Amino acid sequence: MKLDDGKLRDRLAAEYVLGTMPARARRRFAALLRERPALRRAVTDWEARLLPLADPLPAIEPPARVWTAIESRVRGARPARAGWWQSLAFWRFSSFAAAALALTLAVFVSLPGPEQPEALSGRMVVVMNDIQTRQPAMTATWEPDRDGGRIVRLRVMGHAEMAPGTAWEMWMLPEDNGKPVSLGLITTHETQTMVVPASMARRLDRAAGLAMSVEPAGGSPTGLPTGPVLYAGKCIKT
Amino acid sequence: MSPDRLAELLARCALRDQQAFTELYRLSSAKLFAVAVRITRRRDWAEEVLQEGFVNIWNHAGGYSPSKSAPMTWMTAIVRNRALDLLRRPREVELDEEHEELVASLPDDAPGPDELLRQAKDAGALAECLKQLTGEQQKSITLAFFYGLSHGELAQQMQKPLGTVKTWVRRGLERLRDCLEPGNA
Repeated sequence: MKLDDGKLRDRLAAEYVLGTMPARARRRFAALLRERPALRRAVTDWEARLLPLADPLPAIEPPARVWTAIESRVRGARPARAGWWQSLAFWRFSSFAAAALALTLAVFVSLPGPEQPEALSGRMVVVMNDIQTRQPAMTATWEPDRDGGRIVRLRVMGHAEMAPGTAWEMWMLPEDNGKPVSLGLITTHETQTMVVPASMARRLDRAAGLAMSVEPAGGSPTGLPTGPVLYAGKCIKT
Repeated sequence: MSPDRLAELLARCALRDQQAFTELYRLSSAKLFAVAVRITRRRDWAEEVLQEGFVNIWNHAGGYSPSKSAPMTWMTAIVRNRALDLLRRPREVELDEEHEELVASLPDDAPGPDELLRQAKDAGALAECLKQLTGEQQKSITLAFFYGLSHGELAQQMQKPLGTVKTWVRRGLERLRDCLEPGNA
């Protein structure tokens, strides 16, 4: 499919949303959607145009067994009523994988390298898991810089994709279960560094964990995470 | 059912808040079930679609962005896609035949474009624009939308060559888009 052609893209998106594509074309198109943001945008536009047609359909109450089935499939996910960063279950599941990876990482970071500072005492390691898959997705380590601040080195694992119009924001989760504190925006680059000012260094060193949430472009408008948290993990001192 | 409330519930679902998910289901399931029933034309399939749809909504709530779509549009798209996938998935022969029979039975009990249009009249600008389409364009688009018919099924249903029906759908969709967004013509 020559999907660089805007007209063709628009036509196929319209037919996908309307639902007239035959089975094989539909499956192929759905697979392409996952990797092509322009195609996704075209589909979202057509959904906005066509789906209001369904608005006037009279509601039909589904039988109770449907909800029972749904509930049994989503149960077991962590409750987040008190704020996900306070959930004990979350810290439990994250700590084992974190400890295992921290060990690997500790070995890795202690290898001599041109950019490694000599003194590494007090280095902090955070392995952040993907909240959905529970697999490690990002690591953060930090060390003091010359001005009393902290240099945070991030490593994004795999090939993460950022949805257009969104930003990734890093959060420090304070030790006292307090509200998350923004550390700033990051990119999807595999390796990157952030500088945390001296005024926040102590809180960072004592933080319970780090998290990354998806926010509108430019970052959270409220100063607290407003979008979904993708990655989070507990701080470990090595 | 305010869009803001639904958007807030979706945001809380992304944080794995099951209470929010329960409320989201309470507020939106009857509307979404109607969509699933209409497309699949079978209660048991519609129940399967609704179940899959809500598990999907729960799992992908993090990907919902209020700046891009209204919450009901986003959820309707998920449920419709599950319904269309189910209609298009390879099935046992008997089920295929069953669906063909269903399609063949459409003329008797399927509301014509006029009735579907009447139902859609609350859909505002969209309904106004639908009225500007030719009869064939209206009929093929509304039949496809409400019954999940593919091009081939539409051709069979309207007893016209496949190419003709495809053209009605394509031109109809183009006119709808140009009518809804005159700037993009």
